[in-house]
Amino acid sequence: MDVITSGALASWLDRLAAESTLIAPRSVEGVLLYRPVTSSADIARDFTRPVLSIKEFFFPATERLLTIEKTGQTITLQQTLPEGKQVIFGVRPCDARGMKVMDALFIETSPADTYYASRRENTTLIGLACKEMGESCFCTSIGGTPDDHRDMDIMLTEVEGGYAVQAVTSKGKALLEGVPLQERPGHLPKQVITASFPFPETAYWPLRFNDAYWEQMSERCLSCRICAYVCPTCRCFDIRDEPLAVGKDQYERIRCWDSCAGEAYRRIAGGHNPRAAKGQRLRNRFFCKFYYYPQQYGPLACTGCGRCVDACPVNIDITEVMSHLAEVEA
Amino acid sequence: MPYTDEIQAKARELLSRGQTACVIGYEAGPRGRVRPAFIYSPDDAGRLVWNRGCTHNLTTYLCQKLRPHGHNGSKPGRVAIVVKPCDSRAINVLLAENQFSRDQVYIIGVTCDGIVEGAGFKSITEGPLQKRCQQCSEHVPVIYDVLIGQPAPSGKTSGEDKDLARLEAMSPVERAEFWLSQFDRCIRCYACRQACPMCNCPTCLYERDDSLWVGAGIRVDEKRTFHLGRAYHLAGRCVGCDECERVCPMQIPIGLLNRKLAKEMQTMFGFRAGVAPVPSPITTILNGEGS
Amino acid sequence: MIDTNGNNPLMPYLGRLVEVKDMAPEIKLFRVELLNGGREAFASYRPGQFAFVSAFGIGEAPFGLASTPQRGGTLEFAVQRLGSVTTGLHELGEGDIVGVRGPMGNWFPMEAFRHKDLLVLGGGIGGAPLRPVIQTVLDNRPDYGHLTILWAARHPSLLIFRDEYAVWRATPDTELHLTVDQPDPDWDQHVGLITDLLEELAPSPKNTIAITCGPPIMIYYVDQVLRKLGFAPEQSYVTLEARMHCGIGKCGRCNLGDKLICVDGPVFSMAEAGDLLESFL
Repeated sequence: MDVITSGALASWLDRLAAESTLIAPRSVEGVLLYRPVTSSADIARDFTRPVLSIKEFFFPATERLLTIEKTGQTITLQQTLPEGKQVIFGVRPCDARGMKVMDALFIETSPADTYYASRRENTTLIGLACKEMGESCFCTSIGGTPDDHRDMDIMLTEVEGGYAVQAVTSKGKALLEGVPLQERPGHLPKQVITASFPFPETAYWPLRFNDAYWEQMSERCLSCRICAYVCPTCRCFDIRDEPLAVGKDQYERIRCWDSCAGEAYRRIAGGHNPRAAKGQRLRNRFFCKFYYYPQQYGPLACTGCGRCVDACPVNIDITEVMSHLAEVEA
Repeated sequence: MPYTDEIQAKARELLSRGQTACVIGYEAGPRGRVRPAFIYSPDDAGRLVWNRGCTHNLTTYLCQKLRPHGHNGSKPGRVAIVVKPCDSRAINVLLAENQFSRDQVYIIGVTCDGIVEGAGFKSITEGPLQKRCQQCSEHVPVIYDVLIGQPAPSGKTSGEDKDLARLEAMSPVERAEFWLSQFDRCIRCYACRQACPMCNCPTCLYERDDSLWVGAGIRVDEKRTFHLGRAYHLAGRCVGCDECERVCPMQIPIGLLNRKLAKEMQTMFGFRAGVAPVPSPITTILNGEGS
Repeated sequence: MIDTNGNNPLMPYLGRLVEVKDMAPEIKLFRVELLNGGREAFASYRPGQFAFVSAFGIGEAPFGLASTPQRGGTLEFAVQRLGSVTTGLHELGEGDIVGVRGPMGNWFPMEAFRHKDLLVLGGGIGGAPLRPVIQTVLDNRPDYGHLTILWAARHPSLLIFRDEYAVWRATPDTELHLTVDQPDPDWDQHVGLITDLLEELAPSPKNTIAITCGPPIMIYYVDQVLRKLGFAPEQSYVTLEARMHCGIGKCGRCNLGDKLICVDGPVFSMAEAGDLLESFL
């Protein structure tokens, strides 16, 4: 296998930070987040996964789509496409899988989203295999593994004195140009994998749609948006026009994150709200991930990262839902 | 009798006698994490627990639960609720603001010696106390129908609010920098607002479809408006349960902002929220008669 | 299927308002002349499709296309003032510029309806997407059988496209029946719900297609009556609505179960609509 020493990795990352935007896990006031770094020394070590996924670098929390300028009766629109290359280091397989899940929607289903596609094109993912699974991780139950390299451009796996390097795509190979690698005999280390659990087939979910379970399990839900926002695959968004400059007739059209868990999500002008009940909203969330999204776009909209499990303030647990359904199915 | 057993017995009694339609309390989930529980049948009362992991302010569920619903505005069933001292003060605030009437709630007050750090997110019932509990000396709820535990004061002295002291030592410019850097990582998930019993507006001012008061963007300007505005709306109403801070996925010290304004309320008006069911001196209740 | 402006499907075409007509209290008819490439995109849109119209500075919202390309290159939309975008549009006048994205969604299978009798039911502003259905039949009269139009509103002043009723009535093999919930002193036609009118007329389902557009509750009750009259679900077509933000199947908002109203609809046969996991009500 090809190996990069820790020292060589640090030098390479420093170079990448200088040449383009390097994004890596970093502690921000005690919270681990993916953030731009100027030096490899800022990068966190020994972590499971940052609180937010990498999706915000392809599908930002707020994104300007175009600007609008009004002069008398004339309107001038200006498309505002993203610019610049980015490299994301320390990507876990669950997050990289999340990007593939979002690709199915944003790129592979016509019409392709110009903004997302541009960011995807201009970003290289350097993955970091997990040595073991976290307490709330369940990637192995969703068809992933903690060392899955398939969705990365480059995959790193920790070995003695450094990292084993796999160039997965041509984009990854190009980024590795000039990077000193050593040939080392041996195989990639084995990951510590927790037992996976069964959950129902996609086709089974519609049979459970009218169960009283959804209303019962959702009663403690706060209808915040934490689960959707930390999720690598959730992608609901809102589009608004908002003033750009005070006193001038200039506006921007932005899109920003939204969540079907929010109470007003489906409320229409006039007041009618077909998902007024929390059970209807949470049912939509889980059905979207395990039935609607696969029906519409192909992949399951869950990668087993476990962030929602960790972050939910009232312990609404996607693995509990899946286990419950599997039990009922049996 | 351990508190858990007492609470279970009370719940069983209330539900089997039809005195309440529901008991809102705490249970432990499959991962061992404590979480809110809604018990409707006496047979399920065995799910209820009480321990130092019972962090949630369950009163946040009361407004929705007790609101008249349906086409004929039928009155919902009476609800029993398990509350700690801080939670009980929230009930006083909600009563003062006519969110529901006293007879709609049966209050199971529990004496409290503090909740542990990590509660709600980890399976944990022992260990260092949460910061808010270190600063608290209240042992007994201020309002209850039944009290679980002894009504004697705990003898625990309240610790100094070091974070507040540090904030107050900052100049206005430093404070602005501090808060803007905190809000920078906010993702406008609204968990703070949703966890708060006093944030109960049907449509939040800061989440309007027409962006009337603040834009929809998840950006620093909008986030500053949301947090500062919310803090002002809570001045004189916030009971300091600090759940807003606990639930924040970005660990933003939201409670600190509220504690600062609570201190101002104490200094300026000698007022502390929820000690009695009276509205705060800076809240105006418009009821059409001489308002 | 969905045309894009320079390949960016979120970038609107510009359109000039060439006519703004008051149709009813709070309802205006906008006629838009597309600029900067929009004409090509909308060269062959079909009845049932919709477009997102922007009131720049406020936002955009979906509106059913109330016109057909066979009758000219301008687009028509009926807009009821209800929220911030529709209010913004109502404040615009002739010569002002709006944005248009589309055409979006699926369409009524007019080819499959040929040589059948058509029963068109429009309630309130819901009649707007049905106007191009009627226009298509009128413009291709020999291709279609008997056309029965039931047109309803809460009050006579809220009936839309009133200045076209004479032409509809004068067309061979075509009948128009109006009904209102609340008459005014001059009203001499049917009073009652569209379902009452439908039950009284009791049209035969034989070789007939019913097309309904209106509030979800109207669609539901009309369907009940149609079934009583013997219409099979496959003979009944409806347009459904849900809150939309992108119109192109990305933002996730408009789903009813696993169907997106913006790409799998808004036109559904009643067989499909009845099969939806999530009720359209």
